[in-house]
Amino acid sequence: MTASNRIWANLRRDRSGMTGLVIVMAFFLIAAGVWLGLLGQGWSLADGGRWEPASAEYWFGTNVLGQDIFQRAIFSVRTAFDIGLLVALLSTALGAVLGAIAGWYSNSWIDGSVLWLKGVLDSIPFYLFVAAVAFALQGKPWAMHVAMIATFWTTTGRLVRAEVMKIKSRDFVLSARAIGLPDLLILARHVLPNTSHILLVQTSIAFVAAIKTEVILSFLGLGVQDGVSWGLMLAESTQEVLAGHFNNFLSASLMLFALLMGFNLLADALQDAFDPAQVSV
Amino acid sequence: MQYLLRKSLHGLLLILGVTLVSFILMVWFGPDQTYTLIGKNASAEQIEELRHQLGYDQSFLKRYADYLLSLVTLDLGSSNSSGEAVSRILARTVPVSLALMIPGFILGNLFGIALGLSAARRRGQWVDRVIGGLSVTGMSISFLVIIILLQLLLSTPYGLNLFPVRGWQVVDLPSYLYYVTVPSLSLILVTLGYNTRFYRAVFVEESGKDHITTARAYGVPPAVIMWKHVLKNSMVPIITRIMFSIPLVVISGSLLIETYFGIPGVGKVTFDAITSGDQPILKAVVGLTAVAFVLIQLLTDLFYRLVDPRIA
Repeated sequence: MTASNRIWANLRRDRSGMTGLVIVMAFFLIAAGVWLGLLGQGWSLADGGRWEPASAEYWFGTNVLGQDIFQRAIFSVRTAFDIGLLVALLSTALGAVLGAIAGWYSNSWIDGSVLWLKGVLDSIPFYLFVAAVAFALQGKPWAMHVAMIATFWTTTGRLVRAEVMKIKSRDFVLSARAIGLPDLLILARHVLPNTSHILLVQTSIAFVAAIKTEVILSFLGLGVQDGVSWGLMLAESTQEVLAGHFNNFLSASLMLFALLMGFNLLADALQDAFDPAQVSV
Repeated sequence: MQYLLRKSLHGLLLILGVTLVSFILMVWFGPDQTYTLIGKNASAEQIEELRHQLGYDQSFLKRYADYLLSLVTLDLGSSNSSGEAVSRILARTVPVSLALMIPGFILGNLFGIALGLSAARRRGQWVDRVIGGLSVTGMSISFLVIIILLQLLLSTPYGLNLFPVRGWQVVDLPSYLYYVTVPSLSLILVTLGYNTRFYRAVFVEESGKDHITTARAYGVPPAVIMWKHVLKNSMVPIITRIMFSIPLVVISGSLLIETYFGIPGVGKVTFDAITSGDQPILKAVVGLTAVAFVLIQLLTDLFYRLVDPRIA
């Protein structure tokens, strides 16, 4: 049985992991529907009354402007995947590259510089860093993405660095060096693929972190600038709930919870499937 | 001694790094302040004069050195919007934030350790599985959602209506408890899932070690093993965890909690500075907190050295 078959078999047996996978896939289908223009397109249309209750026309009621909360919650699935995918993929890739280089050249000045950069970024409180980046970029809509990618890579970098330091003394790497393959080729073809289990788990963890961060940043006014997201809906709801209008709050928080739960369950199951003996942290 | 020197050098390099990052983002690339600060119909000389005061005609290194000097001497200038000295603003607001955040931060870790211990003790049994499931659930709820829910349940007529919706009029212990409870509970709930899971993993790993097996074989009662051997030997990861979560939980948390509950701490001041583009406050807060955190890390390292002779 090949490694990937064994991992898949492990995953299949993990009931909560499979639940997570199904949830994530369901949300991904919704996001794809929005991308293709099939779902949630009426999210900004203000054709209802103010705070209408749930009805056949407005499934989750309307907000203060008379917009359809169901459509907004559905469109926000796409916003979440836009942010989550971009941040998770780029930050994990950055962590993989920097971590691999640091691990390969461990104890050199290159390694030292990467560790120093990681130490610096880990020392600046995250929301303050976002504020600083937003300040420097003068309110550009992607300040949030830049800040997340620039800081989320550090965990992946640390894990990949440790793994590469282990791998580089293994026989197949030593043989590759002995026959004179260039360092970069060995890293890209033989070393990095062996860290894919770390990268997969870290991507799902970074996805969760990105969506959670978007919510807080949007509430603070540093997040999504135009469009709609669960964070913006929750920010809207903070005043509404005190007046007894719960539709915005309930739809955004429940969908957010379902997606995060799905990803967390999936990340756990992936971790266990790759490495059943290891105690997950 | 050599260890001390190496650690200090390491800390110094980190401090240079964090100050450099905040300098580049907020001073070097930051928006030009000239026209926010100067009045209408300013003459060319006045503009020139102000630009000179702000250091815009200086070199990168000179301006970075000035920034460093201002952090060291705590001569941080004054707020663009209120004109109050930044050092006075900080002296007024930092104690409020500490009083607000410390109880929840400590309790969140204590509860996490307690739950982690009870799960690790019954590894694989239903208690462990329930605690594990609750942790993942906790990790999947947004901080903002927790705050809104607790506010609804505890501070409004829709729930128990026991505590204030927002504000901070603290004069004595009862009023302190009155205002601090809901924010603290939010902080505990948002950190508890992550803490429990982390501490459980630490304790499970420690329980698998040889000296624990030996102690068990000698018939040492399980409770004694947990308290005396597992917990005590896990102190290094526990302290590391606590120290390293300070910037995320305490500082970033105070930004959200104080903004939400309208509490006049350093987080609220920072939020206002973000929305109004008040550069002197922002660069002081970012620079100082990052430096303070590097110092905390340094002290933690030295502390390990004191409590655990194995660490070199």
